[in-house]
Amino acid sequence: MTTMTDRYVTAVLSRLPKPRRADLERELRASIADAVDGRVSAGEAAGDAEYAVLRDLGDPARLAEAYADRPQFLIGPAHFLDYKRVLTSLGAIVLPVVAVAVALAQVFGDAQPGEIIGTTLGATITTAVHLCFWATLGFAAIERGALRHPLPGREWTPDALGQDPPGRRVRLGDLIGLTVVAAFCIAVLLISPYLSPVRDAGGRPIGLFDPWLWDTGAVYAFVALVLIGLGTRYLRYYLPWNLPRALAILVADLAGAVALFAAGASHHVINSAFGPAAGWDQAALDWGHRGLMITGVIVVITSVADAFADYRGRELVPAGSLRLNGLGRDRGRRSNGLGGNGN
Amino acid sequence: MPEDELIAGHLQELRRGTVVLACLLILRRPNYGYALLESLEHSGFAVDANTLYPLLRRLEKQGLLTSDWNTEEARPRKFYRTSAEGEAMAEALTSDWDSLDAAFRALKGKAS
Repeated sequence: MTTMTDRYVTAVLSRLPKPRRADLERELRASIADAVDGRVSAGEAAGDAEYAVLRDLGDPARLAEAYADRPQFLIGPAHFLDYKRVLTSLGAIVLPVVAVAVALAQVFGDAQPGEIIGTTLGATITTAVHLCFWATLGFAAIERGALRHPLPGREWTPDALGQDPPGRRVRLGDLIGLTVVAAFCIAVLLISPYLSPVRDAGGRPIGLFDPWLWDTGAVYAFVALVLIGLGTRYLRYYLPWNLPRALAILVADLAGAVALFAAGASHHVINSAFGPAAGWDQAALDWGHRGLMITGVIVVITSVADAFADYRGRELVPAGSLRLNGLGRDRGRRSNGLGGNGN
Repeated sequence: MPEDELIAGHLQELRRGTVVLACLLILRRPNYGYALLESLEHSGFAVDANTLYPLLRRLEKQGLLTSDWNTEEARPRKFYRTSAEGEAMAEALTSDWDSLDAAFRALKGKAS
């Protein structure tokens, strides 16, 4: 018949390596017995004393961990930051690549749009879970290995701060280019039914794009989305970052991407009459639609990446704004977003 | 965080190192687990049993204590005693403690 003490001691010892058990058992039993004697001589009943002593010693698992000098955490403060960095940078690189690759494979394999989305999502989630697991396992091993052979710390030096983010003038160039391209594309889109090199039997031009787009007004919706997308880029350029605006911009971008994807999936973009009249194979038309779906996927990824880059690059301390005198003036200037100091 | 938790947390931080020095000083005369616990308590260093016992083993592993099984009595007990390195460590810790004490007095003196 095992007493409470026997069960407690067994619980502690079972978690410790064999060589240490005998010595520890003798010491632990002696300590418990001494403590019980102490309480009994103070007037407590033997059973109550044993209970109280074991309760004060606490969870046998914790006691065993303390005896073994093992870390009672998975990844400690020394390595946690590195672990976070590795996980986020791996995720930022690997997950988009996986998503695009799987989406491409599905699109080339002629899958249904729903299937494409489902498989891509599934593959991305599986990859993410694997990344988390193996990264965590690796760092947990490093943590325990480092206990025996402490790694020399990597000293942080101010060199790691890196260069200034690219100046705003560069991005203005991008913005103007984007506006020109967008205007050109919209013009082409709207004029295409009238100015087409391909003529039908009656001599009227056959537009590249499906008349369905005009019948349903989808073309105007698409033009609106392009203009909204352009607008968001201007917003991003001129206004300081804030969370509601950033989320709204992200939603607008994603809406554009979804529209592209849906347009491709609907096979209603390229005029089916155009292909035969221009001497194109049906396959070419299908590829055109697939291209739209692929572009949709890529836009999703770039939208998220842009949103994240904006978040990271948001100006917390605008350059040169905190001057000792004129603090009030600078604060006012900062609030309208056009920080002259920054340029 | 309620007041007591805050105080308890800081007190724990303050006392964390003192138990080691107290053990090294008290164990100049050999003693064993439970009696040491009582001795520390009487000297004003209240420690939990589940903190002290692993601590004694850790100090022994670090060479600051030596141990011996005493089989004279009916109940064999493991006696710990401060080693030579432990004595040196105790001196180093004590002098550091003294300088801290002087520094605190100076600080309090300046403040009041």
